Amino acid sequence: MARPVWNGTISFALLSVPVKLFTATRPKDISFNQLEKSTGGRIKQKRVSATTGEEVAAADIVKGYELRKDEYVIIDAEELEALAPRDAANDRVIQILDFVDATQIDPVHYEKAYYVAPDKGGARPYALLVQAMTAANKVAIAKVVLRQKEYLTALRAKGSVLCLETMYFADEVVDPNEIDELAAAGPELNDRELDMAKMLVEASSTDFEPAKYTDDYRAKVMALIESKAAGHTYEAPALSEAPKVLDLMAALEASLAAAKAKKSA
Amino acid sequence: MEVGGRQLTLTNLDKVLYPDGFTKGQVIDYYVRIAPVMLPYLTGRACTMVRWPDGVDSGKHFFNKNLPSHTPEWVDRVTQGDVTYGVVNEVATLVWMANLAALELHVPLHRMADDSLMPDRMVFDLDPGPDTGVQECCRIAIQIRALLDPLGFSMVAKTSGSKGVQLYARPPVPLPYGGDGGVTAMAKRIAEGMEASDPANVVSRQTKELRHGKVLIDWSQNVAAKTTVAVYSLRARATPTVSTPLTWPEVEAGADGHVLSFTAPDVLDRVDTLGDLFGLPGDPP
Repeated sequence: MARPVWNGTISFALLSVPVKLFTATRPKDISFNQLEKSTGGRIKQKRVSATTGEEVAAADIVKGYELRKDEYVIIDAEELEALAPRDAANDRVIQILDFVDATQIDPVHYEKAYYVAPDKGGARPYALLVQAMTAANKVAIAKVVLRQKEYLTALRAKGSVLCLETMYFADEVVDPNEIDELAAAGPELNDRELDMAKMLVEASSTDFEPAKYTDDYRAKVMALIESKAAGHTYEAPALSEAPKVLDLMAALEASLAAAKAKKSA
Repeated sequence: MEVGGRQLTLTNLDKVLYPDGFTKGQVIDYYVRIAPVMLPYLTGRACTMVRWPDGVDSGKHFFNKNLPSHTPEWVDRVTQGDVTYGVVNEVATLVWMANLAALELHVPLHRMADDSLMPDRMVFDLDPGPDTGVQECCRIAIQIRALLDPLGFSMVAKTSGSKGVQLYARPPVPLPYGGDGGVTAMAKRIAEGMEASDPANVVSRQTKELRHGKVLIDWSQNVAAKTTVAVYSLRARATPTVSTPLTWPEVEAGADGHVLSFTAPDVLDRVDTLGDLFGLPGDPP
């Protein structure tokens, strides 16, 4: 069922691995639609000029970079297009630059995870790369162009599966020293206090089991939605009891007759 | 060059195929970049190429169903009667076709997986008559949706990339083409019913009578032998417009008069921000 979001090739020295990328995480935030309180009608957003108050057509909207307050440089879509990263000759490549120890990568760099699956003809070189990386206990640092944007990524073996994590570039990570509260030197601690603290940490230590932690807020919101929906008279069409083909035709005839009656009334 | 593990020789990349200067190289680039979202809707389907070897301006084009004799061996194919069609299961085939100046790709509503020929959707090709356009087509699309939604159909609209809009509907149960309750009969009935309830704005038959001010609901593509332009296919127009899937708020905006026309770069941007909009619940993987 899952669809690849990208396909291309992992390239390293003489190794070339045709692969597909699949998203590895699926946020389950509950989304709401905006409705008008009195009518229940959906809220539509219009793009309106702050100057004239008039609605602006999409074709009349340009991009402006704010230099200082109310002062913009206009950048055309074509100008950006000309700069967009593009692989030479459209080869879609995950270019491995280096191999590093996983422990050297600060997790603060990690952004979004993808599973890398071998594409046609890629099974052998894929397995080769995974096993070699596992044996060396190394993570590959690679660059790739996804959706016209260049990404720094880490490729790591997770069992027999290769994962690709997009990463923030170094200049996108905030230096903790920029935060005054963190920049100041810490207080002096005595050994007795420290031993006590260490003991407490040890006593609460366990193995990480991600399934143990659940989104309690989401569960409460869903329960609220379900309890309100239960009191509602609207019945969703039961897809499991799909109508027989001829029933569908009959239902269609009834709907057409109703539509016609309404029109001519 | 190598594409998806296949060796391809691309020719005349600088050749201008569109009156606005869009070249064959740009056509190929578009198809490579749209492939991740487009391929699921081509996979397993007999594909008809519409080739414009000398560009749109020349007016010369041909519907190419039978694969040419120089087709590489790795191109997937399916034979029906005495015609062998290409089947676009991978990006390399898409690029190979683009290199033949196949600006447009047309596919039927079913995959070739077995002999049962089960269409996975119905299509209503909303074709505006003189003095009507996308706006009227959007209004009709909304009305058909209002009719079919309570019956359990799921639906999505796309621009034809030319003048009209195409509404795709998946019935709540899989239906064959033929028979009393098949998609051919049902699509015809829906089109006729729409005409009966709104004869001033809708026609359901391709007649020579005046279609002035009316939208034709063309239901005739709901048969196994017919094809419709594939979603995300380029069209041969003055600019490289694309048959573009729409959100329902966009269809509503279209019915209010907003222009709904997207070119290749627009569509790549849309896919970046909106993802693929053409999927319906129950699509095959």
